[in-house]
Amino acid sequence: MSFSLYQEFYKLSHKKIPWIMPLLLLVLMVFMGLVYPSQYGNLMVMTSYNTSDWILIILVITSSTLFSMEFQNNTILTLVYKAPNKLYVYLSKLIVMFAYNVILHVLSMIFTALLILTPINKPVSWMATYQYHQPLVVNMFATTGVDLITSLLIISLIFFMSCLINSNSLVITLNIAIIFMGSYASSDLLNNSSKLASLVKWNPLNMINLTTQYYSYAVTRGFTMLSNLQLLIGAAGYSLFFLVVGYLIFRKKRF
Amino acid sequence: MLKVSHMDTFIGRKRIIKDVSFQVKPGAIVGLIGPNGAGKTTIMKTILGLTKFTGTVAVDDQPVTENNHAALSGVGALIEHPAIYPFLSGLENLKLYSRDSDDMDHVINLLQMQTYIDTKSKDYSLGMKQKLGIAIAFLNRPQLIILDEPMNGLDIEATISIRKIIKQYAAQGASFLISSHVLGELQKVMTKAILITEGKIIVDKPISEFNQLSHQQYKILTENMDQTTQIFKDNRIPIIKSDDYLLIKHDLLFQVQDLLYANHVRLLELSPRGMSFEQIIVGILEKQRRQQHEK
Repeated sequence: MSFSLYQEFYKLSHKKIPWIMPLLLLVLMVFMGLVYPSQYGNLMVMTSYNTSDWILIILVITSSTLFSMEFQNNTILTLVYKAPNKLYVYLSKLIVMFAYNVILHVLSMIFTALLILTPINKPVSWMATYQYHQPLVVNMFATTGVDLITSLLIISLIFFMSCLINSNSLVITLNIAIIFMGSYASSDLLNNSSKLASLVKWNPLNMINLTTQYYSYAVTRGFTMLSNLQLLIGAAGYSLFFLVVGYLIFRKKRF
Repeated sequence: MLKVSHMDTFIGRKRIIKDVSFQVKPGAIVGLIGPNGAGKTTIMKTILGLTKFTGTVAVDDQPVTENNHAALSGVGALIEHPAIYPFLSGLENLKLYSRDSDDMDHVINLLQMQTYIDTKSKDYSLGMKQKLGIAIAFLNRPQLIILDEPMNGLDIEATISIRKIIKQYAAQGASFLISSHVLGELQKVMTKAILITEGKIIVDKPISEFNQLSHQQYKILTENMDQTTQIFKDNRIPIIKSDDYLLIKHDLLFQVQDLLYANHVRLLELSPRGMSFEQIIVGILEKQRRQQHEK
């Protein structure tokens, strides 16, 4: 397993995209800081300048590329036969993508700490009580932690789709559509099936709202119809489901 | 080293490889030959645990299954196209698979890749990519090396060099399973040939037996070739027609001489004629097709 992990980290670190994306993330954070009115200073800190969606898009592009390049370059054959079994290949890619996800989130917090020192943000106090009766710094860490679960759900979806669909561009398009339109689609679904709402509210698209609901509970709770804990359990459960089904498809895939 | 027993490989429900059994012993260079679509690459992929199959594949008595490749730790392979990442240099591609830097340097020197090993592999020519793919297969001192069309895109110098390396590794005990369309090139290195068509093995023989076959024909030239052809046809003597002569099997030599004498046809030339390895293989495949057609 360690050799498979070494191979995946080696490949990721030698690609340009993973290095460019954090810079793009910083640019987008600056942009968000400039666009949002100054009274949202605390919210900007709590959400690390609203990086959740941007990180998800970066993960979609990076993860699907990490998978599709193996098929495009015919390297999947060597990768699979040299690994003791297919699970090693699948797991090592998953672990590397999750580690990259963690790095992006840590970077977003570091960038936040730097950006609040600039004129982009009005001065905020890290220890001032903000949401959930907790200091702002705790809010930021908690939001990041919650967003790691949301992003794991998206990673699992990418892995599932990459094993199911051979077209990289289709996987990217579908996942970006899910990120931007998933919550609206889920909301429409819930509104149009009021009798089945108790069941429909558990649809996977609804779980994408986890991060948004965490930092904007009053607004989001109404249309997700689930508590934070329920969304958290749902997101973790669907992540596991998509990862397991994705692996089963990968295992049966003909190379 | 490698033992394949009653291998059946399926794509969907279709049986692609049918009851294939063979062995590759230590130090042997086995050629897997056959027409396009015969199943050569599928057999190689199955040995590497990349396709669904029944039967057994064992490397050093350790079984290989579709999801257990532990037995393949001492196997190197080049399947279909070189498995290289274009955003990495040749050296970085090798580092990705190498577990021993000394061995990696040895392979680079052996394949004479020093001048371009630090260049990004996306800028490589077809031949350079092929060499890199072969280098990956030779990494970590494998005991079994599987090469699918290794001479693709290689120039004459590289082809000769690869041939030498294959012989050198085999002399040190490594086993090879090689498929190639360049039969003449394969004939120069292999110790055993396995001929496969429509997913079935039809010949599995040491190369020495093929070499004997290559001297089993005689060239016939007479003063009346049309009449000669008709006599052979009437007497059911199998012949291979060429532009201005006929070929017969050596065991029919005396019968043919008697027939020509009896029909007052004067012989102008009767001489042993060597057959190339390619001609032998084509002959076997044609015979196989004829037999199937008759069935």
